[in-house]
Amino acid sequence: MQEATIIGSNLSLGYSKGNVRKEILTTLDFELFSGELTCLLGPNGVGKSTLVKAVLGQLQPFDGEVSLDGKPIASFSNEELARELSVVLTEPFLPGNMTVGQLVAMGRIPHTNWTGKLEEIDREVVENALSATKIEYLRDERLSEISDGQRQKALIARALAQDGKVMVLDEPTAHLDLVNRYEIMLLLRQISKSQSKSILVVTHDLEIALETADRFWLLNCGTPLISGLPEDLVISGQINQLLPGENFRFSVKKGRVESRADGAKFDISGPDELSSWIEKALEKAGIKVLTERMEVNNPPFVIKYAGREFSRIEELLRFLI
Amino acid sequence: MKQNSSILLLFFALILLVFSFLLNISLGSVSISPSEILSGIFAGDWEKASREQIILNYRMPKALVAILAGIGLSISGLQMQTFFRNPLAGPFVLGISSGAGLGVAILMLAGSALGTAAFGGMVNPWAIAIAGTLGASLVLLTVSLVAWKVKDSMTLLIVGLMFGSAVSAIISVLSYFSGAEALKLFTIWSMGSLGGLVWDQVWVLSFVILIGIIPVVASVKSYNGMLLGESYAKSMGINSDRLRWLMILSTGLLAGSVTAFCGPVAFIGIAVPHLARIVWKTSDHRILFPATALIGASLLLLCDAVGQLPGSAQTLPINAVTSLVGAPIVISLVLRKNFSKEF
Repeated sequence: MQEATIIGSNLSLGYSKGNVRKEILTTLDFELFSGELTCLLGPNGVGKSTLVKAVLGQLQPFDGEVSLDGKPIASFSNEELARELSVVLTEPFLPGNMTVGQLVAMGRIPHTNWTGKLEEIDREVVENALSATKIEYLRDERLSEISDGQRQKALIARALAQDGKVMVLDEPTAHLDLVNRYEIMLLLRQISKSQSKSILVVTHDLEIALETADRFWLLNCGTPLISGLPEDLVISGQINQLLPGENFRFSVKKGRVESRADGAKFDISGPDELSSWIEKALEKAGIKVLTERMEVNNPPFVIKYAGREFSRIEELLRFLI
Repeated sequence: MKQNSSILLLFFALILLVFSFLLNISLGSVSISPSEILSGIFAGDWEKASREQIILNYRMPKALVAILAGIGLSISGLQMQTFFRNPLAGPFVLGISSGAGLGVAILMLAGSALGTAAFGGMVNPWAIAIAGTLGASLVLLTVSLVAWKVKDSMTLLIVGLMFGSAVSAIISVLSYFSGAEALKLFTIWSMGSLGGLVWDQVWVLSFVILIGIIPVVASVKSYNGMLLGESYAKSMGINSDRLRWLMILSTGLLAGSVTAFCGPVAFIGIAVPHLARIVWKTSDHRILFPATALIGASLLLLCDAVGQLPGSAQTLPINAVTSLVGAPIVISLVLRKNFSKEF
């Protein structure tokens, strides 16, 4: 049975400047479950950071309440909150002199006494965090000398060492290569399961989020927060909320975002997975219609069109243009 | 293991400090051997009465002031650098030294500039210290008001620097209109001097430095948290607003009192924390604070020993010596590869 660790009910969020209130999000409801990896998706400027601040208890809502473990988040002191919630931020400057081990140990700050001395239990938690993120081998490396992907894992390990029920990550996969983006997200998923933590990830990486997330929160201007299983949202078409305007849509069949073709339909016979790539290339090249039927075979890969044969799409395009 | 080697290094730094101290008090216009000093102090057995005078009433207080000033300035510098996360921050970025300068300038120059001899030609060291303290407190109070108003630490840094410039401008105006005699007096003050303090003043300075260090000890964990920036620090339960106030209070007491008693002493506050980071290769403030204090005290003792121009009756102003030593250090640091990354 899942339990909701953080519940927001009827929230109205925004910033006030003097007497002027600027509401960014209204009538917002959400529940963050334990043991789940939740991805918050939405276009830039829609208020994702505002929502995250409210979840972290750093922003006092105008209306409504955020509660953690059934108690209002405002009733927690800074230190108590730090023992329940940890974050990974998009902070570009880290002290290069610090080792990965020291960084992860900083996660124990809310748990140690005023000198910050690590006790036996603290050391144990740090070790577990290092092994959960599989970076034990980096322990004595300095932060200035490791890759971006490794640094991100170290930051996740630090948040893990803080040992709260909830982890919030702000775009943890930005600036990373494809493999690292998958690795980080799969790692987070694994952690959410094995340690039954609630993990909230703000991301723009729709395709990777689809592969890894248990739950999506879709945020869009002027509509309430949509929460649900990623697959449900795809099937119901609600995922298109992320793509305002006419130019893009989410292809249920292909599982990715495509530009909405202007009714261009090509008559291509052959295996689906091949013809779809040819269509894509034709669309990109601005070709709207084909005068004849096209045939694709594999193997060997060959395109037959207008009585000619092409072994690469590039040759075909050169012929057509 | 790492922890142990850091502590071993701290022990070496302590030995360096003792060595610098003995070197400092044995050198001067008359060279007195360390063994004679030790037997004199501990057994009361001086070769000449004049040497007892020189050591006990001149060199000892000066060496102690060098230690106190070195500790005060370098610890303030480390606090500022960590809090503002800026490798170029120093104890004076919030305008503290300019404030003290203003107080002293008003004392020394204003009478002359206004055409009255209100304070006379002779200015006693207590009056200078009090004027410096008042000036530093005034600027600090104003900066605190700003800090209370704005929560952003970068804004605070800029406001502090602007305050410093504005106050320096007032001092320039005062200098422009004041007489040659007063101007020379002020210029000499602004070159800094560790000597000339009587024992009473040394005790007062020690007391203030001690009080100024208490907030540092109390917030050593918070400074470690600040290494990752204010947002991370907050997420780890660190009260950065409280830390800001403790930092203003502490650097005000430390750098303010040192400047009031010794005049401005440049570069120690900026350069020493970097030296400590390079030698100890750590960013843990439990190590860095004692390391910085030990290095700062030793460096200022050595600078002062150099400034004595051993064997001659002349001395160089301490501010010039520290700048001559400090500037090459800072330049070589900035030229190092990865300097900003390693900070």
